[in-house]
Order: sequence, then structure tokens, then C-alpha cells
Amino acid sequence: MANGVFTISSVISLSAGALLAALASGAAHAADAPKCGLGTGQAADGRPILIGSVVGETGPDDFSAGADAARAYFKCVNANGGINGRPIDFRVEDDQWSPETASQVASKLVKDDKVVALVGNGSFVEMTVNAKLYEDENVAVVASACAVRECFEARNIASTNQGPVPSNILTAQWAIDNLGTKKVACIALNIPSNGVWSCDQTDRWLADQGLEGVPVLFDPGSADLTAVLLEAVATGADTMLVSLPANLGVAFFKAAEEQGLRDQYNWIAPTPLYKEGVPEALGDYWDGKIYINAELTPWDRDGPDAKRWREVMDAFARPEDPRDTFSQAGFVSANILVDTLMEMKPEEIDRDNVTKALKAVKNYRTDLLCSPWYFGEAASHQPNHAGVELVIKSTGFEVVADCFEAKGGMFEDILAMEKSQGMTGAN
Amino acid sequence: MGAYGLFLVNGLAVGAIYALSGVGLVILCRATGVLNLAYGAIGAAGAMIAWQLMQYGCPEAIGWLAAIGTATLLSLAYGRLIAPHLSFREPVVRAVATLGFAIMILSLMNFSWVEAPRRLTLATDAIGLSILGMRVTGTRLIALLAAVLVTLAVALFLAATQTGLRMRALANDRDLAAVLGVPVVSVETVAWGISGVIAGFSGMMFADLVRLNPTVLTFLVIPAVAAAIVGRLESLMLTLAGGLTIGVVESMATLIRPVAPFRAAAPFVVAALLMLWYQRHRRLTFAGRD
Amino acid sequence: MSALEARQQSAAGTDGTGTLRLIRLAGLVATAALVFGIVPEVLGSLWLKVLISAAIYGLAASGVALLYARLGLVSLMQVALVGVGGWVTLKMWHATGLPFEIDMLAGGLAAAIVGALLGLPALRMRGLYFALVTLMAAAAFQIFITATQFPNGGEGWLGVSRSAPAFMPRPLLATTDAAMFRYVVAVAVLCFLAIEACRRSRAGRAWALIRKSEASAMAAGVSVAFYKLAAFALAGFVAGVAGGLLAATIGVLDARSFPAADSVMLFALTLVGGAYAFLGQAITGLLFRAVPALLNDVGVDGDIAFLIFGAALLHALITAPTGIAGQLFGLFGRLIRLGGRR
Repeated sequence: MANGVFTISSVISLSAGALLAALASGAAHAADAPKCGLGTGQAADGRPILIGSVVGETGPDDFSAGADAARAYFKCVNANGGINGRPIDFRVEDDQWSPETASQVASKLVKDDKVVALVGNGSFVEMTVNAKLYEDENVAVVASACAVRECFEARNIASTNQGPVPSNILTAQWAIDNLGTKKVACIALNIPSNGVWSCDQTDRWLADQGLEGVPVLFDPGSADLTAVLLEAVATGADTMLVSLPANLGVAFFKAAEEQGLRDQYNWIAPTPLYKEGVPEALGDYWDGKIYINAELTPWDRDGPDAKRWREVMDAFARPEDPRDTFSQAGFVSANILVDTLMEMKPEEIDRDNVTKALKAVKNYRTDLLCSPWYFGEAASHQPNHAGVELVIKSTGFEVVADCFEAKGGMFEDILAMEKSQGMTGAN
Repeated sequence: MGAYGLFLVNGLAVGAIYALSGVGLVILCRATGVLNLAYGAIGAAGAMIAWQLMQYGCPEAIGWLAAIGTATLLSLAYGRLIAPHLSFREPVVRAVATLGFAIMILSLMNFSWVEAPRRLTLATDAIGLSILGMRVTGTRLIALLAAVLVTLAVALFLAATQTGLRMRALANDRDLAAVLGVPVVSVETVAWGISGVIAGFSGMMFADLVRLNPTVLTFLVIPAVAAAIVGRLESLMLTLAGGLTIGVVESMATLIRPVAPFRAAAPFVVAALLMLWYQRHRRLTFAGRD
Repeated sequence: MSALEARQQSAAGTDGTGTLRLIRLAGLVATAALVFGIVPEVLGSLWLKVLISAAIYGLAASGVALLYARLGLVSLMQVALVGVGGWVTLKMWHATGLPFEIDMLAGGLAAAIVGALLGLPALRMRGLYFALVTLMAAAAFQIFITATQFPNGGEGWLGVSRSAPAFMPRPLLATTDAAMFRYVVAVAVLCFLAIEACRRSRAGRAWALIRKSEASAMAAGVSVAFYKLAAFALAGFVAGVAGGLLAATIGVLDARSFPAADSVMLFALTLVGGAYAFLGQAITGLLFRAVPALLNDVGVDGDIAFLIFGAALLHALITAPTGIAGQLFGLFGRLIRLGGRR
């Protein structure tokens, strides 16, 4: 009985797959599309491999860029022979920034659809709610936009992005070395798992360096950013670390512009401000005055993977899909998964084997990341802890310091662990 | 003193925003009995369209016209097409229904403009003067001035014109006013129109002074309701005072460490406390009168 | 008001004719069999979770409906009270490790006390003005909970952990999704029955009198203050229990789940579902949680889904003054009369 059902559904998916392949190959000829995976140019028509993704799309911010890039890459792989003949069926769910919805859609993917892995997850709420589900169901997640503490402190989730802590610290580290920073005001949201946590870690790291950090935290709905600015000024800091989402960050800098404070302080920020539209929104006033850390390498690099990322996006993504850091991170996540699956026998691809294989990934190198990536068997994951420092110009971003590693404090332990377990191939 | 002065001036500037919205809410509520929870969304829609036009290179004046025009149209559309269907329901139901309208406008905005860093810059941002150590831009001065002027103008309008008289009559007793021959529909239309104009104006002010984000601007209506409550949903002067007080309390709370993280709750705490104080002499409530 | 009359009529009819009582009983048994026997077995994990959420918010809505239908009072803070109940339940569990049922009752009691305290202004004001007091409370709660968050097994009074967060496990009786669904529905039905029992007791008569006229209620020796606050406490209690159930379902709670706008939305949907019968609250729960999930699942863009939702809310408020449940009862009544004539 089950067999009969199975045949029917695979016939349906076969014909759907053939239709998609026809469409994809049409597109491929038109744009001389890049080769992915096996590079056969032949559409895969085997039994699909189910991969899921949970992203926060509808809500205060859109974290779906990673899944968009992963989707584009999977399309490209499917059009080029798939995973040794098996196409990837990629299902993206929107958690709508609601913990309840996040729990529901993750259950759907993990329990109902029985996906073998999740890729490109990006959310403010999803990981907190679902970390336990992923662990209980033994499914691995290669995320690409982790923003909260729970995402990094989960056994079955590892992300290709850094999150606010390393990004804050890297930009502060650069400011200490190059701008003479002595005291930092860490301006962030008063959400415990995000702003409170990241400022706390940053301030601890600063204390380790014999310097001082002061948190300045406020409610995300606050209308009045000038009061936040005045509070930051009152801390007596010489450097303002603006650890806010792009929209709030722009509003904060506008308040600082109103008060004419540009030249009295050093202005630094983590990755969220490395986003298209930010230089235009900030305007000429801030030209060359704000230093931003990027968690991955800049968008316009010419490395082979960077080029491939742009080509895949142009050929297979929707025109409105963003080409930003999170898109790069999603592309890297999808590549890690595809490379892992390619190593496996097609008939052995099930959840347990995929989880095992993903957790065994180490020393994964790509020019989109500053340092090698690994998953590993650990209760927390922070494989990405090197970045690029950029300065904002009225016309865009300029690199001021290429890939550099975070040093000191918590990173000593991480580096020691990497060394002892050979995670980065450097032991 | 220096820090106190700084936060006082800042609080007045923020309070002007609350006051301006509160006045727009109160005038509509008085004339039509509708507390418009879509007020923020209507203003935000105006501001987004103005921003889009200015991105296309239109001069600021066109942006202002578009913002006020859009807001007025939306306000009138609701007032003429939807509100009459609910006119015989109780005030709370009529208020709650506007949330449906707010959600519609908000989702249309989010659909049309994907989340991105945006900034609305007005010519008045460039000028400014220093008060008690804080630099106050022209836009903030305009917001404060507008809050006062609009309050005075509307108060004068209600006191001195025939339409104003009719609005007051409607506010006192709807049924009686209708029996006495007050043209309910046209008077209400005027009220929706005026409220829309104020919503468009304050939407531009908010987008400049707070931030250009549809969701934030839409839900800014809740602290504005707090200012309207201070004015008991009828007194324009008290609403103005309430808005400014709330702004100052919220800003000054930054200086008191233990309460600083909660200072965004200032509008609600101030409004609730004042409301209780107003009611201190009342003993009984009777059905039928709200 | 016509829904109320329709209800009273149908209630009178139940006492009069045996067939109607039979139909009712058969309907109840069939519904129970469907909800407890069939639904949890045939639905996948997604829809079970959606229905659990719907049942939880249906339960919360019964508190809003109680205040509105019995006393004519509007509470725009119910979702915030759900948050209060969830906070206390989580805190209790992490602090004491007592069985879930006790934690949930503590959450319910805490929300009842908070509800009654915030209901105090209702002794002196009513209508829109009072509704706005509750809205202010809901808005303030949103700010406070964002800054404090929900307990997750950490140290200190707030119990927010700086490192690994802990989940509250599901109650022993309900570790699977299907069992959790049955558990939530059973608790909701118990709460509905408790409300119904109150309505039929001295309290219910006092509420009816207060609703007609507070002056005559006082003249009749009814303690207006006590019974009004009792209603708020009861509404708060069911909200708190709902919060406990929500915490148990997910294991953790997030401040973003309890915005002030959701409290307004829950009241609006209580009107749309129908405030005068428990069927209405079941519909409210479905509208609040299942309809958005359905739109999300069929792939409607999240923003467009909200647009449809807003438009439907307006439409339902305009066209169904007695709520969908009222319309269904009207339809049912007409069918019975048709059948009787034949």
C-alpha cells in the first residue's frame, strides 16, 4: 500500500522535476549559466532529496537572503545533474518573527516533510524555539543568519555568519589598534538574547584588554533616539559602537548628525550596517567616518567562489533577491551541504547519515569566508571569527583592513579547541 | 543642570510629536466618535509616498503635497466608505475596526517597499539653533510650533465657525444633534478630512524625526493615544500638555538608571495615572453613557 | 443584542422539546469524538501545533468574551495577561520544578490578580475610555517584557540565563503533539465549564443586573465592585492558564509574542467569532491562529496575508454584528424551524 502511494508521488515529482528542468535549461541557455555540482548540464531526475529552511521574512526585518541564495544554488545544482542524479527539493518557510509560527513551520519541515537537513536559516526567533527540536530529531542546520545567543549555543546548529559578538569585537579590535580607542559605548537593543548578550560579551572582552565598555540599551520601539545618543555621550566613551539593525542604525546616525557630533567620537559598527542603501541613506556627512566590520569578504571580490556566487545569483535567483553578506552566507551554507552530499552514496542519503556527515565537516575553505569553516560535535559553534574592516563612503564601502582574526578573551579558547581537534587543518 | 537642560529640551522636541498626533486623534474623536487607530498608518503611507517621489527627484514641496494628499484621501476613504457602516455600533467597536484598516495599509506598505534602510531628509534639517547645549533643528522647532499652532487653530475653528459648532454639537449628543438638523455626514467628512491633513503632516514629521519605517510609524499611534487620553479625548489643550509632558518624562527618565531601560513605557504610565486622577471623584458608572 | 435573544430562545427550546436536546447531545458527542479521537490522529505535526495555538487563544478569548457579553466591558489587554501567566508558569517551573499543573495554576492565579488590579479603574469608568486604560496596560507590558524577557532557567529574580537556555518540558500527560492537543482542549473545556458555572450561579445573576443598571444592582444589595472584579479575575485566570499552556507547548516564550496590537486584535476577533457562545471563542481561536497559518502554508506572501486578514476583519465587523457564531446559531435555528414545519 505504502509502496503504491510512493510510486504515485514519485511519478508526480518526476514530471514536476522534468518540467522544472525544462524551464531551467531554457534559462541556462539564455544566460550561459554557471556550472554547479556535477556540471553535466543535464537536469537531475532521480528521487528528490528534501532540504528545508526557516527564515524570518515577514516582520521588522527580512532575514530570507540566505535562503534565497541557497535556493538559487540548488536550482543550479539540479540543472547540472543534481546530487549524483537526485535533485534537491528545497522548502523555505517564513516564521513571520513569531515563536509560535517558527515552532509550527519547523515541525512541518522536520516531522511532517522529514527533511534531511536545514540550510540557510536566518531568524531572530526560530533558533531559540527550535534548537531542542533539531537536537531531538537529530537534524543538522547549516544556518546563515544567526543573530541571537541561542543560535550559537545549540548542538545541532552551526552558522556561516558570525553574529553580533565576534563582529562587535572585531570592529572594536580594529578601532583599538588604529583609532586609539580606550572606552567604548556599546549601543544596542535591550533584548537579552541579542543586544544585552552581545554588549555584555564585548564589554568583557574589552575588560580583558584592560579597556572599558559601557552598554547603552534601549527598546526597539523607542521613538526617541536622541535620548539614546545623549545617554551614550554621557558615558564619557571615546568610541561609539553602533550595534543596531540597519534601519535603526541610520536613524541613530541621523540623530548624531543633528547634534553635529561626527568629529568628537570614533564611530564603529558590526555587519548589519554593511548593507546596500546604507551609504545613500547616511549621506555625505558621514563620508569616511564610520568603520564597519563585515562577517564575510566584501561583495565585489574576484575570488572563484565570489564570482560563482554572483553568476549563480544572476542566472538562478529572482532579480529582487538581495546580494549582500547574508546572501553570501547562504550560498556558502548551500555549498557546504551540496559538497557533503556529493561525498555520500545517493541511496544512503537519509537524515542520520547527513547529520553525521555535516557534523564531520572541517577545514572547509572558500574565498567568501576569511577563515576555514567547520561544524563539529560541540554544545556551541562559533567557526566564523575573522572579518574585514570597511569604511563608509558616500558612494559605497571601501576596505581599510583585509581579513583579520579576533584575538584575546573568548577567542583564545576557540582557537585552542580548533587546534587540538584539527578543525582548520592547522595542527 | 547641563544634562537636565539637555534632556528637557530633547523631551519637548519628542513630546511635540506625541502632542501633534494626539491633537489629530482628538479632533476626529470629538466630531465623529471614532478613535482612529489607523492614524499612524495613514501618516506613514503619506510619508512613504513622499519619500518615493523625492527619490525620483521631485522637489520637497511636491513630497509634502503628496504626503498630505495621500493621508487625506485615505482618511476620507475610510470616513466615507467604511465608517458609516459602523456608525451605530459602540465607540470601542468603531475604534477596534480601524485597526483592520491600519493592518491593510501597513501590509500594503510592507509589500510595496521591502525592508531597507531609508531616510527622509527635509530642508529644515539643515538649519537649527542651540538651546541649553542641545542643537535643535528647524524640523523639531516646526514640530513644536505646529503642535501649538494646530491646537490653537482647531480650538478656534471649533469655537468660531458654524461647522465647528456643529462638531461640538455632534460631540455632545449625536442623536440630538441629528434631530436638530446638523448635517451629520458632511460635518463628519470635514472632520475626517482635517484629521487626514494633520495625519499627513505629522507623518512627514515622524518620518524625519523618528525614522522612515512603516511598522514603527504605524504603531506610534499607541503612545499618541496616551496623549489623547491625557486630554480625555476632548480637550485639545490638555492633549498638547499631555504630549509634551510624556515626551519630557520619557526623556528625563534616561537620567534615572534603574528606570532607564523601561522609559519607553512612560506614555502609558503617565496616561494611566492621570486617567485615574481625573476619575478620583467619580463613584458610580451608569450604563449608556461612556 | 439579537444574538443574546437567539441564545435565550434556543435555550428555552432545549428545555421544551426532547428532539432538540437529543440533537444537541448527539452533536456534542460527535464533536467530542472528532476533536479527541480523529483530529489528533489524522493531522500532521504542523496542523496539530496550529490547532493547539488556536485552542489556547480560544481559551484566552473566552475571558474577553466574558467581560464583553456579561458586563459590556472591553478588555484590550488579554494577550498581555497571557504573557503574565506564561511568565509566572515558566518562573515557577524553573524555580521549583513542581508539576506543570501546579505551575499553570500559579500562572492563572497571578494573571487573575493582575487582571483584577488593572480592572480596578473599571469601577469608575467604562466604554472606550476604560478600554484605553487596558490598552495602555498592554502597551506598558510590551515594553517591560522586552527588557526583562521570559525566564529560561537562569539565575536571579528574572531567571534569564546568560548561557544555555533551558526548556520547560511538556506536562507528563502530554509529551507528544497529539496528546498535547487533547490536553489543551481538555483544559480549555474545563475553563469554559467553570465560566459557565459562574454564569449560572449568583455571580451570573449579579453580572446581569450590573449590566442592566449599576444603580439598581446596588439598590438590590449586589456588591458591584466585588462582582466586577471577580469577572476581571476570572478573565485574567483563563488568560494566565492559556499562557501556561502556550509555554508548555513551545517550552520557551519570547517577548515578541505579546504586542499590544495583538490584544486589540484578539478583542476584534472575539466580536467577529461571537462573544455570546463558546462556539464563538472556538472560531476566534481559529481566526487568530489557524487562518494566518493556512495562508502561510498555501504560500501567500506574508504581507498579502495580513492585507487579506485586515480586510476580512473589517468586513466581518460590518456584516456580522452578532459574530459568526451568532450567524451559525441563526442558521441552525432556521433549519430546525424548517424541519419542524415539515
